[in-house]
Amino acid sequence: MHKTRIFYFFLLLSVLLLQEIQAQQPVIISVFNESTTIPYTTSLNTPIHPGIQVGTEFAWKETKRIRLYPSVRIGYMFHKPLFQGIYVSVEMGFDLKTNFGLNLKSKLGVGYLHTFTTKQEFQFENGQYVSNSDKGNSRVMPSLSLGFGYRLKKNDFNSPEVFVLYESWIEYPYSPEFIPLMSHTNMHLGLKFFPFNYQKQD
Amino acid sequence: MKLRNLFIVLFFLGCEQEPIYEDSYFACISTIQDNNVNAPGSQSYESTLQNMINSGIPGAMLTVHNENGYSSYAKGYADLASKVALQPCHITRVGSTVKTFTSVSILLLQESGKLNIDDPISNYLSREQIKDIENASKVTIRQLLQHSSGIYNYIQNLQFQTASLNDLTKIWQPEELLDYARGKDAYFSPGTNVRYSNTNYILLGMIIDEVTQRPFYEFFEEQIFRPLGMEFTEFAAINHVPKGIIRGYIDLYSNLNLIDTTYYSGWDYFTADGGLISNTYDLNIFLTNLFHGKLLSESSMEEFTNWSSPNESDHDGFPTYYGLGIFKVDTDYGPAYLHSGDAIGYFASMVYFPKQDITISWAVNGNYGRLDKYSQSTEAMESIFKAILK
Repeated sequence: MHKTRIFYFFLLLSVLLLQEIQAQQPVIISVFNESTTIPYTTSLNTPIHPGIQVGTEFAWKETKRIRLYPSVRIGYMFHKPLFQGIYVSVEMGFDLKTNFGLNLKSKLGVGYLHTFTTKQEFQFENGQYVSNSDKGNSRVMPSLSLGFGYRLKKNDFNSPEVFVLYESWIEYPYSPEFIPLMSHTNMHLGLKFFPFNYQKQD
Repeated sequence: MKLRNLFIVLFFLGCEQEPIYEDSYFACISTIQDNNVNAPGSQSYESTLQNMINSGIPGAMLTVHNENGYSSYAKGYADLASKVALQPCHITRVGSTVKTFTSVSILLLQESGKLNIDDPISNYLSREQIKDIENASKVTIRQLLQHSSGIYNYIQNLQFQTASLNDLTKIWQPEELLDYARGKDAYFSPGTNVRYSNTNYILLGMIIDEVTQRPFYEFFEEQIFRPLGMEFTEFAAINHVPKGIIRGYIDLYSNLNLIDTTYYSGWDYFTADGGLISNTYDLNIFLTNLFHGKLLSESSMEEFTNWSSPNESDHDGFPTYYGLGIFKVDTDYGPAYLHSGDAIGYFASMVYFPKQDITISWAVNGNYGRLDKYSQSTEAMESIFKAILK
């Protein structure tokens, strides 16, 4: 039941996000590989724990060389056999733009993550173990992403963009009095595009 | 609707149910007298196990050796999904208790003149094997055995911990584990202190391999398991998850919501710091025979129980002294010689009380989070000792 509520919450956010996007914002979609790892010690980890994320970003402050922008995103990841999770997050992005189409990108974010086990769970109730549906675990998800993007129309700063982001994030709390927090990284490959009402803003 | 359907499919596909086994899958036949109600003290022993089960331990087994011989008990479940009751003849993972077997094997090799424990380990291991492991080029075998080498414990490396969580079913080779100790500062200069390090026992297993020219676990089998008639004991390298092994569970999020981790102990299948599969009956046979002088010579036993204490004692637990692959703790019932061990989802301990000539061994198929408090904390151990020795 709880899982269903989480799902509808997730769906509602998606709809709200899409409505907002329809106005004029870009859609940012990425696929990623999630890992439990210490940030910046590893890059391409196996096995692949797949994830998908969709979001948008909003114009805030922009000059010829830099762009500062808030963004929102929702996503799902599947880390067999440990957990699967859905999340919603807000980020503040900072891009350093170059003339040859490359954007150096960074994002600082915080989000809410709800995780579920990917295995059958046995809960201790009234002195014995029973196997009911997993109610999941609530987590805070601070994150830092670094990477680069390439504008497909390099002279247009609002061009569609392909990007690679190395996101490091913390899952907190993790296991109280045992493992206080868990460190993860997501390696994203994504695309920013304007499917609804693309208008050149420069 | 397509998006919604996609997520529904993802969540339902994402959750895997555990297989249901028939009782016959876990069938075990032995001469062990299960839940021997006629043995003196048996009610107290059973009550101790039941208290563990009532607290959330999935299954617990216990063997006691005293003047009446061996008696074994079990409560709870071997498999929560199939609701199969745990029996004393079931097999389980006993983790680091193997370190005592590794130590005994090294001392047996010394007795047969194959090595000297005061030799530097560089006499037996190549430069490549110990490369970048600080202290390794100057420590002796004895210092590895006694944890006085100062060598970094690879399990403490956060990169290893997250890597093992990232790939829970990975089967690790000893060299891969040693890589997590390479380039790490030693805890202290060799011989100046003692600190537990699994890396020491990986290296000892490699020394046994080199000296005997075969895997260390074959030496265990030939020199210890078979001579003592340990019919329930084997090493995980040969069969990682043997038929009938009880399911292991962890309380990863400290909320007594358990998941099955039977297949997640792949980092000690091939190393002499863990990887033993046994039960409390066989562990009890081993420790009782060891301290009754049936395995090692008198001089080896003197070396084995030459205690060394850490420079700073841990105030939370029993006062602890380090022998060679064995510990001495001071309890309310006098000194006790012990070794315990965790695997992912399993815990076991074996303890010998020399004053009373009583051996106690217990094992559970759940650990981490809140479970450890009920099976392996100082409080839990005191409760077990009290039930048996009072």
